[in-house]
Amino acid sequence: MTPNPYLWLVPLLPLAGAAINGFFGRRSSKKAVTTVALVFCGAAFAMALFLAAGFSSESAPYSCDLAHWIRSDKFQVDFSFYLDQLSLVMLLVVTGVGFLIHIYSVGYMWDDESFYRFMAYLNLFMFFMLTLVLAKNYLVMFIGWEGVGLASYLLIGFWFTKDSAASAGKKAFIVNRIGDFGFLIALFLMIKHFGSLDFTRVFAAAQRMPAGAASVGTLTAIGLLLMVGAAGKSAQIPLYVWLPDAMEGPTPVSALIHAATMVTAGVYMVSRSSAIFDRAPLALTVVAVIGTLTALFAATIGIAQTDIKKVLAYSTVSQLGYMFMACGVGAFSAGIFHLMTHAFFKGLLFLAAGSVIHGIGGEQDMRKMGGLRNYMPWTFWTMTIATFTIAGFPPFAAYFSKDEILWKAYSSPNGSWFYWLIGVITAFITSFYMFRLWFLTFFGDYRGDPAVHDVKHESADAHATHDKHAHDDHGHGAPHESPWVMLGPLVILAILSVVGGWVGIGGRFEHFLAPVFQSGAATELAPGTGGEAGAAGTETLLMLISVCAALFGLFFAWLLYLRRPQLPARIATSLGGLYRAVANKYYIDELYAALFVKPLIEGSTTILWHGVDQGVIDASVNESAHAARELSDAARHMQSGNLRSYAGWIAAGGAVVIAYMVWMGVR
Amino acid sequence: MESLSPIILTLVTFIPAAGGVLILLIPRRDRDIKLWAFSVSLLTFLASLHLPVHLRRETGVFKFEIDKVWITAPNIHYHMGIDGISVWLVVLTTFLTPLCVLISWTSIHERVKEFFILLLILETALIGVFTSLDLFLFYFFWEATLIPMALLIGMYGHGRKVYAAVKYFLFTVIGSMFMLAAILWLYAKVGSFDFTVIRNAIHNGAVPGFESASLWLFLGFFIAFAVKVPIFPLHTWLPDAHVEAPTAGSVLLAGVLLKMGTYGLLRFNVGLFPDQAHRNAPWIMVLALIGIIYGALVSLVQPNMKKLIAYSSVSHLGFVVLGIFSFTAAGLNGAVFVMLAHGVATGGLFMLAGILYERRHTYEISEFGGLATPMPKYAAFFLVIVLASVGLPLLNGFIGEFLVLSGAFQDRPIYGILAATGVIWSACYLLWMYQRVFFGKVTHDVNNTLPDLTRREKAALWPVAVAALVMGVAPLIWLSSIDPAVQVALAPPIRQLLTKVVGQ
Amino acid sequence: MILSAAITPIVVMRAAFSHSLPVLLAQTQVSLPQAADYMRILPELVLSIFGMLIMVVDPLLDPETSHQSLGTIALIGTLVALASTFWMAQYPGTAFWNMVRVEDFSVFFHFLVIAIAAVAILSSFEYLRVQRIRAGEYYGLILFGTVGMGLMSSAIELVLIFIALEISSISTYVLAGFRRRDAASSEASLKYFLLGSFATAFFLYGVALMFGATGSTNLDEISRVLRSGNVPVLAYVATALMFVGLGFKVASVPFHVWTPDVYEGSPAPVVGLMSTGPKAAAFAVLLRVLFQANAPGTFWLIWVSAVLSMTLGNLGAMVQNNVKRLLAYSSIAHAGYLLVAFAAQPELGTSAAMFYTAAYAAMNVGAFAVVSHFANAGEKYVTLDDYAGLGRKSPVLAATFTFFLMSFIGIPITGGFFAKFYVLNAALASKSNLVGLAVILVLNSGVAAYYYLRIIVMMYMREPKGEVPVTRVPVMTAIAITVCVLATLYLGVYPGRVLRYATASARGLVGDTGAVTVSPPSYARAE
Repeated sequence: MTPNPYLWLVPLLPLAGAAINGFFGRRSSKKAVTTVALVFCGAAFAMALFLAAGFSSESAPYSCDLAHWIRSDKFQVDFSFYLDQLSLVMLLVVTGVGFLIHIYSVGYMWDDESFYRFMAYLNLFMFFMLTLVLAKNYLVMFIGWEGVGLASYLLIGFWFTKDSAASAGKKAFIVNRIGDFGFLIALFLMIKHFGSLDFTRVFAAAQRMPAGAASVGTLTAIGLLLMVGAAGKSAQIPLYVWLPDAMEGPTPVSALIHAATMVTAGVYMVSRSSAIFDRAPLALTVVAVIGTLTALFAATIGIAQTDIKKVLAYSTVSQLGYMFMACGVGAFSAGIFHLMTHAFFKGLLFLAAGSVIHGIGGEQDMRKMGGLRNYMPWTFWTMTIATFTIAGFPPFAAYFSKDEILWKAYSSPNGSWFYWLIGVITAFITSFYMFRLWFLTFFGDYRGDPAVHDVKHESADAHATHDKHAHDDHGHGAPHESPWVMLGPLVILAILSVVGGWVGIGGRFEHFLAPVFQSGAATELAPGTGGEAGAAGTETLLMLISVCAALFGLFFAWLLYLRRPQLPARIATSLGGLYRAVANKYYIDELYAALFVKPLIEGSTTILWHGVDQGVIDASVNESAHAARELSDAARHMQSGNLRSYAGWIAAGGAVVIAYMVWMGVR
Repeated sequence: MESLSPIILTLVTFIPAAGGVLILLIPRRDRDIKLWAFSVSLLTFLASLHLPVHLRRETGVFKFEIDKVWITAPNIHYHMGIDGISVWLVVLTTFLTPLCVLISWTSIHERVKEFFILLLILETALIGVFTSLDLFLFYFFWEATLIPMALLIGMYGHGRKVYAAVKYFLFTVIGSMFMLAAILWLYAKVGSFDFTVIRNAIHNGAVPGFESASLWLFLGFFIAFAVKVPIFPLHTWLPDAHVEAPTAGSVLLAGVLLKMGTYGLLRFNVGLFPDQAHRNAPWIMVLALIGIIYGALVSLVQPNMKKLIAYSSVSHLGFVVLGIFSFTAAGLNGAVFVMLAHGVATGGLFMLAGILYERRHTYEISEFGGLATPMPKYAAFFLVIVLASVGLPLLNGFIGEFLVLSGAFQDRPIYGILAATGVIWSACYLLWMYQRVFFGKVTHDVNNTLPDLTRREKAALWPVAVAALVMGVAPLIWLSSIDPAVQVALAPPIRQLLTKVVGQ
Repeated sequence: MILSAAITPIVVMRAAFSHSLPVLLAQTQVSLPQAADYMRILPELVLSIFGMLIMVVDPLLDPETSHQSLGTIALIGTLVALASTFWMAQYPGTAFWNMVRVEDFSVFFHFLVIAIAAVAILSSFEYLRVQRIRAGEYYGLILFGTVGMGLMSSAIELVLIFIALEISSISTYVLAGFRRRDAASSEASLKYFLLGSFATAFFLYGVALMFGATGSTNLDEISRVLRSGNVPVLAYVATALMFVGLGFKVASVPFHVWTPDVYEGSPAPVVGLMSTGPKAAAFAVLLRVLFQANAPGTFWLIWVSAVLSMTLGNLGAMVQNNVKRLLAYSSIAHAGYLLVAFAAQPELGTSAAMFYTAAYAAMNVGAFAVVSHFANAGEKYVTLDDYAGLGRKSPVLAATFTFFLMSFIGIPITGGFFAKFYVLNAALASKSNLVGLAVILVLNSGVAAYYYLRIIVMMYMREPKGEVPVTRVPVMTAIAITVCVLATLYLGVYPGRVLRYATASARGLVGDTGAVTVSPPSYARAE
C-alpha cells in the first residue's frame, strides 16, 4: 500500500469552497460566488486527473492517514483515505461529471436570488461524495454516506417555500435514514466480529473466516444489511420511493445527485464490499433479485409518466437495478462499468431535459411540449445521442455496459437465464419509454401555449428562468435554445456517452478493476480470456437479441407517439385499471402512508402520548396526590374541635397503651 | 500552576456562588447585574478550563483531589476530585452558564437580581455534584440544585409554572430520599461517607450484611437517579418542567441537570454495586430502550416545540443509560460522550426555542412556518443544531450514539438493533419539526416581520455550533481522557465478567 | 420561694412513704441543703427571682409602656439564667437529697429551654405592643414556666418531676389564653388546661404505681430494682400511664389531639415557646424514664406511636390553610421523627433525640417568630393566602422563613437535616434493626416536603395580595430571628460539637445506673 499524502486534499477543496460561499456568499457578487465554486470544484477535478495520471496498478492501492478520529479501548477509527482502481473510477466520474454540472448550474441558476446558497450546497455535496468514494474505512465512508444524504436533503428542498419540495427533501432524508439504519447494524456486526472497520482489515478477516455455517451466516447478515443501506441510497425496492419525489429539486441537482453520482453510491458500496458478498452467496442472490425486480418494476412505471423528469427518475431507478443485478451475479466490474456510462448518459439526459424545461419557461409536462427540435437543435441532438445510448444501440456507451451486464447475468455462475430475460424485457421497455419521451418532446408540433408559461413561472424551475426571460429579447415563453454555459456540458457529456463505453471493449475495463475484485475473480470469466467459442457464440446471439429489443422499443414508440398519436389514449382506456395503477406508480406511496406513516402518527398521539403518558403515568401520579389529600382530610376530621371527643381520643389511646403494656407484663 | 491544583476545584465550584452572593451588594441596576453575572460565569468557565488542560499531569484515579475533614461526627469530609468523566461535565456546566446569562439578557424583566443569584447558585450546586467524592457532600449539592431550579421555574416560568415547579420538586425530592436512606445505611455500616472508602469496603466485603442489603441500596440510588435522568416511566415531570421553565432554566435543566442522573448511575450504581448493576442490567436496559423509542414517538407528535425537545431528551438519555449498562468500553465511552453532546445540542435547541419565544411568545409549532425567509441566520443555526441532534457524522451527536449503539450491540445485539431505530426516529421528529417551522410559505403575517438574530444572540449561539462541530470532528480531545476513566469504571470486578469489550 | 415550696412537701411525702423513721431522721438531720445544692438549681433560682421581680414592679409601671421595661427585665433574667447555667455546670452531682442531678444531660436541657425562653421573650416585644397585651403576668409566667422546664430536666425524682411538669404546664395553660380579645385563645387555653390536667393525672398515677412496684420514686433506685430481674406487671402499667402523660406533653399520636386548636388559638410567640420548651423538657423526662430508669417493654409502644405521629402529622398538615395550624401538625410529625430515636439503641438514640430537640427548637421558634411578626395586629394574617407574594414584598423575611422551612424539610446545611440524619443513623445502627422505621421516616419527610413547599410557592410564585401589610421588622424580633437562623445554620454546618456534647450526656445518662459524669461540660471547655 503506497502512502499518498495528498489524497485528503481532493474532498477538502470543495469543502473550502462550500465554506467560503456559505459564509460570505450572501454579501459577495454572483461572479465571485461562481469563481469560488468552480475553482474549488475544478481544482478537485484537476487533482483527480493528476492522481489518475500518476496512477499505476503496481503501486495501487494508495492510502493517506490524516488523523485519528474515534478511539475507545482497542477499537479505533481514523480519518484515512484510500485510492485503488475502483475509487479512481468513481473519483473521475464524480469530479468530472460534477464539474460539468457545476458549470451548467451557473447558467441554470444564475437568476435565482439565493444563487450563492445553491453553489455552496453543490460544493458541500462534492465534499461528502468524494469522502464517500475515497474512504479507507466504513465509518469515514459513512460520513460521506450520510453527508450526501444531507446535501440532497438541502438541494431537493432548495426552493423550501414550496411545501412539496420541503416534504420531498424530508422524505429523501428519512428513507435514506432507514437504509443507514441497516448500514449501521452491518458496521456493528463488523466491529463485533472483525474488531475494525478498516476495509483492508475487514476484508482480510472476512477471507480468513473459517468455512462453515456460522461465518457464512455472519457474512450473509452483513451483506444483507449493507444491501439495505444500498437500497436506501440507490433507490431500490422497497426504498426507491424517495427518488421520484426528489425531482422537486432544481434539475442540475437531479442530474448530479439523483442520476450521476449519489444514487450510485449503493452500487459502489456493494462492489467495495465484494470480498464480503463473495462469501455470502445468499446475500448476492438477494442483491441480484432486488436489482432485477427494481429494473423491471421502475421501467414499467416509466412508461406512463408524463412529467419529463419523472420519466428520467424512474429510468434511473431501473438502470440502478441493472447495476445491482450485475453486482448480484458477481460481475461487480460490469456494474461499475454501467455506473460510469450511466453517469454520462443519464447526466446528459437530465441536463438536456433541464435545458428543455429552461427553454420553454419551466414546463415539465411532455404533453405540452413537442416539435422542439426546431427551437433548440443543440439540446435536441445531444438528447438524441443520450436516448440512443440508454436504449442500448451500438456503438454508444450503454450498449457495451448493458450487454456486459446481460451477458454476465446469463453466463456467470451466480447468474441465470431468468435475470437475462427480465433484463432484456426491461431493455425493451426502456427503449420504448425513452423514445416515447424523445418523440413527445422534439417531434410533432409545439403543444405548449404562451398563456401557460405565465402561470407556470410560479413553478419550481421557472424560478430560475423567469427573471431571465424578463431581460431576454425574444418573447415570453417562445421556446429558445439555452446559453452556451449550459450547452457546453451537454456537448461534452454527449461525446462521453458515445465514446465512454469503448474502454470496455475486450474487457479492458474489467481487467483494470480486476485487482479490486481479486477475491471474486474466481467467479468471473472475462470474455475472450476464459470463454471458448461456444460461449462467444451465445454472447453474440444474446447481444443481437437485446439490440432487437431496443429496436422494437423504438418502433413501438414511433408507432404510438408519432405515427398514430391517438392510439395511446385508446390503449390506456382499454387497459383501464392496469393503466391507472401504472400511472399512479402502483399506489406504493399511498400504501406506505397507510401502512406506516398514518399508524405511527396516530398511534403515538392517541396510545402513547394521550394514553400512556397522560392517561396512565401522569394520571396515577395525580391520583396518588389526590388520595393523599383525601387521607389528609380524614386525618383532619380527628379535629372535631370538640373537647369531649379529644378527651375520648386520649382515653382510648391510653386504654390501648395500658392494655398492651399489661399484656407485655403478664406475658 | 502546580500550586493551583489543590484549590482549583474549590475555586471553580464556589466562584459562581460567591459571585451570586456579591450580586446582593449591587444596587438594583439590571444592566450591572447582568454584566456582573456574565463576567462571573465567564471567569468560572476560564478557571474550569484549567482542569482538562492539566488533567494528564495529575496522578491517581481522581485528579485535583482535596480532602479536608469537615464534620467529625458524622465523619464528613470536604472531599473533592474529578476524573476524566466528571471533568467534562464540569466544563459543560461552566460552558453553558454564560450562554444562559446571555440568552436571558432581555427575556428577564423583573426580579432580575434574584434570577441571576439563583442561576449562579445553581451553577455552583451543579459543579459540586460532579466534583464531590464524599457522599454527604454529593447529597448536599444534589439537593442544593433542587431549590434554585424549582424557584427559577416557579418564579420566571410561564403558564402552569407553579404546577411544573412543584411537580419537579416533589418527583426529585421523593426520589432522593431513597438515595439518602441508602447513603445513611452505608454510613451506618462503614462509618464513612467517602466514596473511595465505601467502594473499597464493599469490594473487600468489609460491610456487614451487605449481601442482603445490596439490592435495596442499588435501588435506593437507582430511583433517585432514574427520576433525574429521567428513565421511563418516571419522566413525566420533564415535559412540564421544560415547557414552563424560562429559557435559561431549560438549557441548564436539559443540558446539565439530567446528566446528574446518568452521572450518578455511572459513578455510584456501577461504581459501588457492580454486581447488582450487572444483575439488574437487563430490565434497566429494557427501560432505556422503551425510553429511546417511546420518547421519540411521543415527541414526534408534540404540537409544542419545547415539549418536543423535552421528549427527545428522554430518547437521548435513553441512549446514555443503555450505554452505561452495556458494560462495554464503547458503551460507556459513548454514554459519557452522549451526555456531553446532548448537553450542547439540546442546550442549543432550547436557546433557539427561547429566542423564538422572545419574539412570538409561543412555542406552538403551528404558530410558525416559513421562518427561513424572514430569519435565514436563525434557520441556519437551527439546522446545524438539529443535525447535531439527529446524529449526523462530523457533528457531536453521532460519535456518542455510534459508540453506545455498538457497545449495546456487543452486549446484546437485539438491544443494539432496537436502539438503532432511534437513528430513524430522531430524523423523523426533528426534521418534521424543522420543516413545519421554517419551510413553506410564511403562514402568519406577524412572522414576516420577525427580526433575525441579534449580535448578542449570535454570541450565544456561535459557541454552541462550534462546539457541536469540534466535538464531532475531534472527539478524541474528549475520548482520550474519558476512556481511561471508563476503563477504571469497568475495572474489577467487572473486568472479569467482561469478555466482549469492543476490539477483543 | 417556689423552689422550697416545691421541695419541702416532697421531703415530707418521702418521709411518709419511707418505711423506717431512723432513715427519715437521718436524712432530715444529717444533710441540710448546702451551698452546692443551691448552686445546682442556680438557673431556677435566678429565673424565679426575676419572675417575682417582674410581678413586683409591674403595678408600678405605666401599663402603656410597661411591656418594654418588663420585657427587658425578663430578657436580662433569662440571660443571667443562661450564664448561671454555665456556673451550675461547674457543680456536677446531686442536690437536695438526691432529687436533683446536675450532669451534662440536665445542663444541656437547661441551656436549651432557657435559650428558647430568651428568644421567645425577644419575639414577644413587638407582639405585646401590637396586640396590646398587659405584659406583667406574661413575662412572669414565661420565666416561671422555664423554671418548671429546667427542673423537669434535672430532676431524678419522679414526684419532683411531676411538680416541675405542673409548674411548666400551668404557666403555659395561662399563656395560651393571653389573647383575651380573641375567643379562640381562651378556648385554646381552656382545652389545653382540661386535657392537660387529664393527661398529667395519668402521669401522677403512673408515678404512684411505679412507687408501688419498685418501692421508690427515685429513678436510680427504680432502675436498679428493674434491672435486678423479674419486673412486676405493675411496673409495666406504671410505664404505660407515664407514657400517656408524657405523650400528651410531646403531642405524639394519639395524644396530640389538642395541638392544632391550641396552637391556632394561642399567641404566636407562646406557640413558639410551648411547641419547643415544654416539649424538650418532656422529652428529657421521657429519656430519663425510658433510659435512665430503663422502663420495660416500651419498644413497640414507641415504634407504633412514632409511625402514627409522623404519618398523621404530615397528612394533617397537607390540607391546612392556616400557617399556625400547619406548623402545629408539622410539630406532631416532628415529634414522631424524634420518637424514632427513642426506639433506637439507648446511647445513640439519646444523643440523637437531644440534638433533634435543639435543632427543632432553633427552627421552630424562628419560624413562629416570623409568623408572629407577619400575623400583625389581632393575628389577622395567618392563612397561606396572606403569604402570597411575600417574596416580593419583603425578600429578607421570606428568605429566612424559607430557610426555616428548608430546615423542616431536612435539606442539608440546616439543623433540620442533621437532626433527621442522626435519628436515622441511630435507627440504622442500633441492634434492634429499625430499617422499616427508618424507611417510613424517609418516606414521611418526602411527603412533608409538599406542604412546606406550598408556603414557599405561595411566597415566591403567587402574586402579592394588596391589602396584606408588611411592617418593617423591629430590632428585637430581628435579633430573635437572626439568633434562630444562626443556630439552625450552625447546627447544620458544624453539628459536631453539639452532638459530641449530647453523646457525652447520653453516656452519662444510660451509663451504669446513671453515675454522675464528672467531666465538665464540653462547651465550658470550648468557651
